[in-house]
Amino acid sequence: MFTEVKKHIRLILKYFSFNLSALAEYRTSFLVQVFGMALNNASFAFFWWVLFDKLGGGIGGYGFKDVMFLWAVSSTGFGLAHIFFANMNSISGMIMTGELDTYLLQPKNPLINSIAARMSATAWGDLLYGIILMILLNASGMMWLMFSISIFTAALLITSIAVVGHSLTFYFGNMDMVGRTLWEFTITFSIYPETIFKGPVKALIMTALPIGFITHIPLRLVYNFSWGTLILLFGVAGIYALLAFGLFMLGLRRYESGNLIITRM
Amino acid sequence: MGKYLSLAGISVKNALVYRANVTGRIIFYFVFIFVFFSLWRMVYSGNEIAGYNLTQMVWYVCMTELVLFCSGAGIFGVMNHEVKSGAIAYELLRPWNYIYKQFAGTLGNMTFSASVFTLMAIVLGMIFVGPLPGFNAAAIPFIIVSFMLSITMNFFFLMSLGLLAFYFEENSPFYFIYQKLLFVFGMLIPIEFLPLWAQGILRYLPFSLITWGPAKMVVDFSFGYAMQIIPLQVIWCIAAVSLAHFVFSRGVRKLNVHGG
Amino acid sequence: MAAIKLDGLSKTYKVKVRGEGLKNTFKSLVKPEYKEVEAVKNVSFSVDEGEMLAFIGPNGAGKSTTIKMLTGILHPTAGQAEVLGFNPVKDRKKLSYQIGAVFGQKSQLSFHLPPLDSFRLLSSVYEIEKTEYEKRLARLTELLELEEFLDSPVRKLSLGQRVRCEFAASLLHGPRILFLDEPTIGLDVVVKHKIRDLIKRLNKEEGVTVFLTSHDAGDIENLCRRAIVIDHGTVAVDMSVKKMKYDYLNKKVVSLKFNAETTLEETEGVTLIKHTPYAAKFSVDTRIAAIGRVIAGLDSDNIADITIEEPPMEEIIAAIYTKK
Repeated sequence: MFTEVKKHIRLILKYFSFNLSALAEYRTSFLVQVFGMALNNASFAFFWWVLFDKLGGGIGGYGFKDVMFLWAVSSTGFGLAHIFFANMNSISGMIMTGELDTYLLQPKNPLINSIAARMSATAWGDLLYGIILMILLNASGMMWLMFSISIFTAALLITSIAVVGHSLTFYFGNMDMVGRTLWEFTITFSIYPETIFKGPVKALIMTALPIGFITHIPLRLVYNFSWGTLILLFGVAGIYALLAFGLFMLGLRRYESGNLIITRM
Repeated sequence: MGKYLSLAGISVKNALVYRANVTGRIIFYFVFIFVFFSLWRMVYSGNEIAGYNLTQMVWYVCMTELVLFCSGAGIFGVMNHEVKSGAIAYELLRPWNYIYKQFAGTLGNMTFSASVFTLMAIVLGMIFVGPLPGFNAAAIPFIIVSFMLSITMNFFFLMSLGLLAFYFEENSPFYFIYQKLLFVFGMLIPIEFLPLWAQGILRYLPFSLITWGPAKMVVDFSFGYAMQIIPLQVIWCIAAVSLAHFVFSRGVRKLNVHGG
Repeated sequence: MAAIKLDGLSKTYKVKVRGEGLKNTFKSLVKPEYKEVEAVKNVSFSVDEGEMLAFIGPNGAGKSTTIKMLTGILHPTAGQAEVLGFNPVKDRKKLSYQIGAVFGQKSQLSFHLPPLDSFRLLSSVYEIEKTEYEKRLARLTELLELEEFLDSPVRKLSLGQRVRCEFAASLLHGPRILFLDEPTIGLDVVVKHKIRDLIKRLNKEEGVTVFLTSHDAGDIENLCRRAIVIDHGTVAVDMSVKKMKYDYLNKKVVSLKFNAETTLEETEGVTLIKHTPYAAKFSVDTRIAAIGRVIAGLDSDNIADITIEEPPMEEIIAAIYTKK
């Protein structure tokens, strides 16, 4: 089993260099998209700056730097996820068009193989934005430490949540919308202060859909470090990834039995 | 005139076909309002900030989003495509026809979106914060006029930006900049949050007039305010339409000079 | 030695049945009704190593379903399949090292990169050892004449060039069985011949078993010695291509050119296809009228030219498809 894991890590790295060379083809479009992303992030940064300025104090216990930390982690985490696994949002499409079959014919795990097959060019922009933001913030040592750790757990969680959403297509037919919505939720909810969410929503993002672990828990660790919480962070990321993997593989078996609610002839 | 109406009718039918797309947009709208509701609920503790209370803020965001969701923003992409594919070259000497044809065509879609999202806006407003106290029904005609002016203005500005495809291979940056200006100067927060000197300028610029204009009319109506805003909207609306006409006719001429 | 063995292989799909109208839509949500569709019914046959088999049938006959069961993509509802000694379902990964596939619409190549890069990636996927990979690559490049465009992005290649690259991609890992689904569709005659030659060479020199699905009669005639026709999920015909060609329809087509104006009449077993004053084309049902007799019955002094041929392969296949 361990050799299989090693083989797949090697495969992911091979895809990395393979996809990277494909990106060289798209220079103008890439710059334009990155510009758009930077502008978008800047306008939100401006929004928060105006808000903090007007209100004078904290918002839900967060300062301006804290909100920017959320953005930095989610941006770089998102970037990492989409550099390695950009096809995560195409899973539903691949199931419906039968493109998944091409991966089933190859001697590698179909989930890893299919999601690693593409790299998002603009994800590099997202990756860099988070780092640049951290630099501009003049962040504390603790913030940098948590940033460096949580971008990986964030990437893992972002990917896992998308996989969970899209794997539903195996069970219920085209769930592309659900997958994409979940993926949007994930980004949206992780860039606002934790404290604005209450009750059932708060419970949801800390459990079944662990969005809270992408940015909010890491921020907690910045101010209130505890080994227990750190281990919990790794644990949740790891377990959720396994869950996503399992859900996909179970769904795949259903796919192979041909009992989808659509005709696949 | 009749042919424009029938075009509008067809586009309603088309809009209904894209149900899945609408579902996605509804969800997105809901999530956005929910997040902002959560945010403002946390920020406000019963008092007012910059002249708005919590109830007003939430309704405000519902309204600014409503404007943007109804504006037929797809026109940017459509214009881009028409120019780049060369289909537009066939519209040589009839700029007014073309501009209005596009508008009429999108009208059906916009009416459909307007119905869906107005309903959503009201329902969500009611659910999250309840009715607006002191809402005056007499304001409604003004609100409707202001909304229509906003949507029209936004549409023609986006059309103009799309038509810049005549001059620029990559005109997306213009779209991004325009969109973010709308975000920052009215959609996310009312301009009263910004320093006074900024407010002074923004009142006269189209960006705030598109979102903040009608939204403020909903949450904090005053006749004096309406009399200030609506004429300005009319002026910018005319400007937007003229701009679209200008960019189109110049662009097509340029196309002909270069042989397409 | 059987490379592929099917034994009572069956696949039944459960398809939701939903009536028209709102009431039925609601009903289908609450109490869904299912209809069973038997895509493949009890199919049994075997293919020897080194054989080249044409697997044909009308659309919807169960061809792709069968191939999917043989490659492990689909689980059968009943029966067994054995490919190179493996159970395609249980040993899908192990089997995948041994089989290659060129499926019409699906591509294994990256659109934006040169084929060489995709080949390199595939060598990682299939864990092909470096020297082995270089050897295979060199050989396939030579066989398929890929040298010129190995370094050009795939999007810049013509269809023919792309298909040749797809073939190379599917053969890099030295598979023992090649599953081909419409490999020559849309190609011009020259490229079709190149591809057919490649397949023949691979089969001859390396003993690669070929399992071909094609609607192109030329592919079938040129490549395969045996054809299995599947229709409505069952095997309709399983015979050698030669027998199919010459014996299946029991028909010969005769074309004549006359010296003088002639009128021919239809007789028992002889049906006119085309008739002008100086020429005639007719078919002979050889079960009813012996071809020799028919020819003998013609006025040989009057005949300027004569051609006797089998009906075209297309016609034969169409006849098989339409037979119940």
